[in-house]
Amino acid sequence: MSFTIATTLDEALQALATGARPVAGGSDLVVGARHGKAPLPEHLVAIDRITELQCIEVTDAGVCIGAGVNHHIIEHHPLLSNAFAGLSDGSALVGSPSTRNVGTLGGNVMNSSPAMDTGSPLMVLGAEAELRSLRGSRRVGMAELWTGPGRHSAEADELCVAIHIATPAPRSNSAYLRLEYRRSMEIAVVGAAAAVTIADDGSVSAVRVALTAVAPTIIEVTGIGLGSVAEVAAAAAAAASEQARPISDVRASDKYRRHTVGVMARRAVEAAARRALGEPVSVPVNRAIGIGAAS
Amino acid sequence: MSTTSVPRFVRADGPDKVTGSGRYTADLTLTGTLVAKFKYAEVSHARIARLDVSAARAIPGVFAVLTQDDVPDVRFGPFVQDRTLFARDVVRFEGEIVAAVAAIDVPTAQRALNAIVVEYAPLPVVNDIEAALAADAPLVHEGWSQYGAADVLVRERNDASFASIAKGDVERGMAEADTVVHSRYVADGCHAAPIEPRAVVAQWEGNKVTIWTTTQVPFDARAGVCETLEMPASRVRIIVPHLGGGFGGKCGFHYEAHVAALAKATKRPVRLVFSRREEFIAPDRRREGIVFDFETGVKADGTIVARKVWLAIDNGAYTADAGFFSQLAAMHALGPYQVPNALAEAHLVYTNHQPSGSVRAPTAPQTCWALESHTDEVAKAIGMDPVAFRIKNAVATGKEGPSGQVYDEIGLVDCIEAATARAGYGDDLPDDEAIGVAIGWWPSFSAASGAYVKIDGDGSGQIITGAQECGTGAVMTLRQLVADELGMQPEDFELVYQDTSAAPYDMGATGSQTLFNNGRAAIAAAGQIAEQLKQLAADMLEASPADIVLADGAASVAGTPSRSVPITELAGIAAGGELLIGHGSGVPPAAQEVSGATCIGDVGMTAWVAPQFSCHAVRVKLDRDTGVARVLHVSTAHDSGTIINRIGATGQVEGGVMMGIGQALTEGTRYNDEGQQRNAALLEYKLQTCADAPPIDIHFVEINTPNAGPRGAKGLAEAPNVATAAAIANAIAKIAGTPIRQLPMTAERVWETMNTEGSPA
Ligand SMILES: Cc1cc2nc3c(=O)[nH]c(=O)nc-3n(C[C@H](O)[C@H](O)[C@H](O)COP(=O)(O)OP(=O)(O)OC[C@H]3O[C@@H](n4cnc5c(N)ncnc54)[C@H](O)[C@@H]3O)c2cc1C
Repeated sequence: MSFTIATTLDEALQALATGARPVAGGSDLVVGARHGKAPLPEHLVAIDRITELQCIEVTDAGVCIGAGVNHHIIEHHPLLSNAFAGLSDGSALVGSPSTRNVGTLGGNVMNSSPAMDTGSPLMVLGAEAELRSLRGSRRVGMAELWTGPGRHSAEADELCVAIHIATPAPRSNSAYLRLEYRRSMEIAVVGAAAAVTIADDGSVSAVRVALTAVAPTIIEVTGIGLGSVAEVAAAAAAAASEQARPISDVRASDKYRRHTVGVMARRAVEAAARRALGEPVSVPVNRAIGIGAAS
Repeated sequence: MSTTSVPRFVRADGPDKVTGSGRYTADLTLTGTLVAKFKYAEVSHARIARLDVSAARAIPGVFAVLTQDDVPDVRFGPFVQDRTLFARDVVRFEGEIVAAVAAIDVPTAQRALNAIVVEYAPLPVVNDIEAALAADAPLVHEGWSQYGAADVLVRERNDASFASIAKGDVERGMAEADTVVHSRYVADGCHAAPIEPRAVVAQWEGNKVTIWTTTQVPFDARAGVCETLEMPASRVRIIVPHLGGGFGGKCGFHYEAHVAALAKATKRPVRLVFSRREEFIAPDRRREGIVFDFETGVKADGTIVARKVWLAIDNGAYTADAGFFSQLAAMHALGPYQVPNALAEAHLVYTNHQPSGSVRAPTAPQTCWALESHTDEVAKAIGMDPVAFRIKNAVATGKEGPSGQVYDEIGLVDCIEAATARAGYGDDLPDDEAIGVAIGWWPSFSAASGAYVKIDGDGSGQIITGAQECGTGAVMTLRQLVADELGMQPEDFELVYQDTSAAPYDMGATGSQTLFNNGRAAIAAAGQIAEQLKQLAADMLEASPADIVLADGAASVAGTPSRSVPITELAGIAAGGELLIGHGSGVPPAAQEVSGATCIGDVGMTAWVAPQFSCHAVRVKLDRDTGVARVLHVSTAHDSGTIINRIGATGQVEGGVMMGIGQALTEGTRYNDEGQQRNAALLEYKLQTCADAPPIDIHFVEINTPNAGPRGAKGLAEAPNVATAAAIANAIAKIAGTPIRQLPMTAERVWETMNTEGSPA
């Protein structure tokens, strides 16, 4: 058993190359081990003190979010919560204030749970994960990264160093909602994210929708036709309910999940469209509209 | 969160708890302490074909492995003696203890558990309350008829306690009614879920044992140890360090004897600390599931003429303190209404589930939920406003309730009027919102209780009490009562409490009785010291003791404040002569005799001393697309008599309401087909969080209650948990267009109900 505290990326990559597993906030890894999900790895390398993983870099082309950035920062970051609002919606729902202060984007992505709250926003935003090892660096899209519940396609020596998201087209924005039974310390029963672009005539000219907790991984909904916001929202709802492959468990039946994921998809399209049109819909959408609104 | 303004009141245990300097049971470490772990049945019903602990005993670092063969063969239980410390021959629920291990550390203890060999021959699992009552249902206890039991209990096969309340002629009443409404409701079981898991530490010195434990009822825990280990009370000392919540779940006698037996066998101190999963499956204290069938007959003008109720309570595998639940549930099912013709029949049914036991207002929230949902159905059937219907039929001063008790001064109607007015009942609301209203009641429990008070030579005092603080602040309030009696400050007194060898008896933090009974005891003890101080002051000031007034830390002659002596000075004098020691108990107020109702299985639950009343009016918003309900505002009015500690009282109402919201919407145990809990974890068993808390408006109707506790106080800890879920149900039913017939009213159940064919929504 060993525990290395890396202060540079290089130290971390060295440790990974010799078989250590990274721990960032530990809010999945350590909590999971305590609950008997999987024993703690023999060799751990802590990556939370590596400054290179903490940066948020904005260029005309897009944004690069370090894997070590925590959910609290993503929730409140002025650029992210405006231009990439769906991602901030997701981060803002994670656990409780203390979970958001320790849990990182990289940890959420690499934990690869089908219920992860940043998953479908990243999918609809076309995000890519930058994976680095001593052997080099590569970028993979989300659909390619996530291969099953708790499984991803990165090699054991690869560290996720950043998430890259291209700047959306003008009059575009995103939103993420989840079905929750309480307002904190919750896990998505189902969730949906949408990214939409609004044409000059007010119709939807591009739409992407992804779903949370209805399949072994986050999945993207296909075949949603374009049209008015209402038409696209309805089409997204129907397609989401149809394409979902939910299970029945103690949280919900498959039937209820199939229905509600459609509701989430419709609302995500509507909220994303309102944001794309410049209407302020505050982060997270779950608390801004509908049942979650303040009163 | 509340709109009530409260005066400053610093709890004596507050700084310890807030700063982290306070010690809880799991924090205790004694030299050489071993770790205790239990081997659980895991299966719900089976005969033990083979149990072999020899391999476990042989593991180095394992100091003891105990089974029923290693302890006195005693069957125990407060109402039915149906239980042994460890399983004997048959296991009857998944959390039943088969063996206990004491080992050097956790991994060794775990290895020992794994090395215990148990083979089971499966028995049919009794998983359904109603099916268990069938004449040919498999028995949970083959030998039920041979068990010792309280004489008053009416028992038959899987029915561990049948009770009925009958008044008037219910069939004739129904025949006279213009409308008869029939409803069925089902409440799932749920949990107390205190944040501190159970812990027990035991250490022997000679033939005496000291047990530090997370109990709400130290004297009851002591009695359990004495009974099962066959020891006199004088050799068992129970100490409770700070208790991290209980909500009834830590009432009764739990693992004190197991740990004491391990400590005795190993000649070492032994510590048990529960995991969250154990906290969910093992204790014989969770809120009982109940199936209800109601029929109410009303006149067209809204007068209730008859009510008939049948209900069956899930007792679980053993009868913990649930023996009185049948009659109590029957009272709650008839409700705080004037019902001239009433019949309630209640069964307490053995199943292969975790045993039920007192959790905050046992039977009341779920029965109130069912009755009050039914009440809204009745009002709707005759086209009457549900609040007007309640005001017309509610019990009131001088009126007779369903068990024949005629109530003296009570404030239920005041509660209904206050809560609904403060909630804005009747105002226009958006079409996805509604205000639901429900009324509830709860007895005050009159019981023996004792306390000592002493004042030392420096003028500082101690209150030595048998009462148990489980977080409500009731024990903390004793300082205020004693200080007022002696003209001193609460801060002048330290509390010595939660130690059965230091203090006289008290029932413990149960039945909302602490302030009601121990307040009386503490005042009586302080009164003896007041007499001593007055005599001392009278001698010094050359006055009559009757003219001495104790106030502001001094004894002075009435009307002549200049003739005065500080109490500290009197304490100094007393220290050299007759010491300032008071002891008190007082006479518990007696319940009224009731007549007019005949009861089978009467355990004394039909005549209530100083009954408490409440009305909650809750504004709810419902997401029709998903069935998710959200509580936007709760307005409460309580008649709990005189409020002595307002900040404590406010906390009780807030906590009770939050627990009620959880019971209404998210908290419920789910069983699989084998009778095992599917959601025995905090992620899947969803308590409400701070983020879910709505604004809670708190109003107390303080009327002059005869025959009550100190200064006219009634109890308060349980009452606020009674009516919340019911009020939420009535709000949801208004929006959904139909009641939700199963508790908790989860989002999926609401959605299912709204989307079931034939539903009006
Ligand atoms: C109380 C509580 C509530 C929660 N609520 C939510 C919620 O609402 N929504 C939600 O989505 N999640 C929730 N989580 C899960 C968790 O907090 C998040 O997934 C968080 O983002 C994980 O980040 P972390 O830094 O703590 O990950 P860690 O636990 O440190 O790591 C998680 C996994 O990712 C790997 N890893 C971490 N960083 C990297 C990296 N840079 N490169 C490669 N691999 C890496 C680790 O080896 C490990 O396998 C909750 C957790 C808790 C304890």
